[in-house]
Amino acid sequence: MTDTTDRPRRILPVDDDHDTGGFWDAAKRGELAVRRCDGCGAVLHVPVPYCHECGSWEGSWTPVAGTGRVVSWTTAEHQVHPAYPVPYTIVLVELDDHPGVRFVGHLAGAPQLTDGQPMRVWFEQLDDGVVLPQWAPV
Amino acid sequence: MPGAFHHRDVCAIAGIGATEFSRDSGRSVLSLATEASLAALADAGLAPGDVDGIVRCDSDTVRHNDLVHTLGLSRLDYFGDVGPGGVAPSAMVGQAVAAILSGEATTVLVFRSLNGRSGRRFGLSPVTQRRIGGNGTYDEFFLPYGLLTPGQIFALLAQRHMLDYGTSEKDLGHIALACRARANANPLAQMHGSPLTMDDYLAARMISRPLRLYDFCLETDGACALVVTTTERARDLAKPPALIRAVAQGSLTDPQPGIQFPVVLHETLTTLPAKPTADTLYRRAGLGPDDIDVAQFYDCFTITVLLQIEDYGFCAKGEGGSFVSSGEIGLDGRLPINTGGGHLSEGYIHGMNHVVEGVRQVRGESTNQVPGAEVCLVTSTPLPPGSALILRADS
Repeated sequence: MTDTTDRPRRILPVDDDHDTGGFWDAAKRGELAVRRCDGCGAVLHVPVPYCHECGSWEGSWTPVAGTGRVVSWTTAEHQVHPAYPVPYTIVLVELDDHPGVRFVGHLAGAPQLTDGQPMRVWFEQLDDGVVLPQWAPV
Repeated sequence: MPGAFHHRDVCAIAGIGATEFSRDSGRSVLSLATEASLAALADAGLAPGDVDGIVRCDSDTVRHNDLVHTLGLSRLDYFGDVGPGGVAPSAMVGQAVAAILSGEATTVLVFRSLNGRSGRRFGLSPVTQRRIGGNGTYDEFFLPYGLLTPGQIFALLAQRHMLDYGTSEKDLGHIALACRARANANPLAQMHGSPLTMDDYLAARMISRPLRLYDFCLETDGACALVVTTTERARDLAKPPALIRAVAQGSLTDPQPGIQFPVVLHETLTTLPAKPTADTLYRRAGLGPDDIDVAQFYDCFTITVLLQIEDYGFCAKGEGGSFVSSGEIGLDGRLPINTGGGHLSEGYIHGMNHVVEGVRQVRGESTNQVPGAEVCLVTSTPLPPGSALILRADS
């Protein structure tokens, strides 16, 4: 897709890294996935190529429920990048089905949030076919 | 037992040097590094030719050979790099100690130099490329969402501490005010002559809620340098030696891979690598928090200080807010902190000005001298790992 406007362009993730590319491939399928060890089932997050629990080098991208709880948040009010206009809020979300596994999300503005606020994943389409898993209050 | 250490008090900081701290030095980083190094050598009563080792920070743009050239050294027997960034200063001293104890060097120059305001500014988003992450950085999980700066990371930690323990914005303000008050008595501080009140603090604009303008450190052009040698030799030099009682490095338990952003995935958001670093440091020193007379805490942000006060054992986890609000961190308090003004108000030399001020305290020559101070804690424990040291007066 050609970007014909002058708007600042969002930062895109490298989505073809050896260790993390599968996460972004899953997002393109509309799935939030974590890397799980084929040997012992441990969740390897952030994704790493080796499971130190059982010594396995084999892992699979496994879809998760896509619901979680807010463990912290901050509202940015001082702008540091032109494609991220303030105010916006960064949420840190812990998965319901895998406690301890966390992702960050971006919310426009300064929404009222509470500790433990339930959140659900959604998928944001960006340029170049990139899909970013995002989080919204339930 | 690992760390049943043989370095206790064996080496000392014999000389300290610093340039002016400014917003625009108008000079190269190499020029600043050279001036600070010459000042440290002169302070020790040594000549450049006495230096046989140099330790630099991995974030520095000045390389060992640059300083070898400007100082006119004929050779260099030992050189080391320590990082990452602000984690380095205490560990740089530790590497100098290790080089001396191993016989690889006798006189080690340790420096940090940066044009942190007129050159590369750490507080700005580093992202200029279209794609971010990969290659073990894990930045792709964070920066595309607008999590772009260390201040935003620490804001997430501050918010969690407030939720868990009822810590208030005013508590953080007391840390900013203490540092500013010390800077107002330190003519070398960038904020000398600029008083700060709690009303000023609370009225300042938010940067990343709950952190305001004065919760953030300064941006500084400047350099600091140290000369490390054996205590035995330092006793014959120009200034009273600041004995290096102990040094330590430490990581978070279950450290995350990546550069910095994955720290928000760590199990606890309210404990820094300061905790394991403190445990090792105190064990190696044979000292504990009750023995510390004054402390120089790495203060990229106010919350960083509050978390460290807890992690270094000056109060229980969660009680940092009441500790800093009760006057304990003032000059007359239980634990005077950041007596030069710290990063928040003296200048941001990436933790190295904290070591310099620590030496001043145990020499008795600080502009905010703590009466009778003999033992000073100096920390370089932001994130992801950390380092720290304890300096002691030669008694």
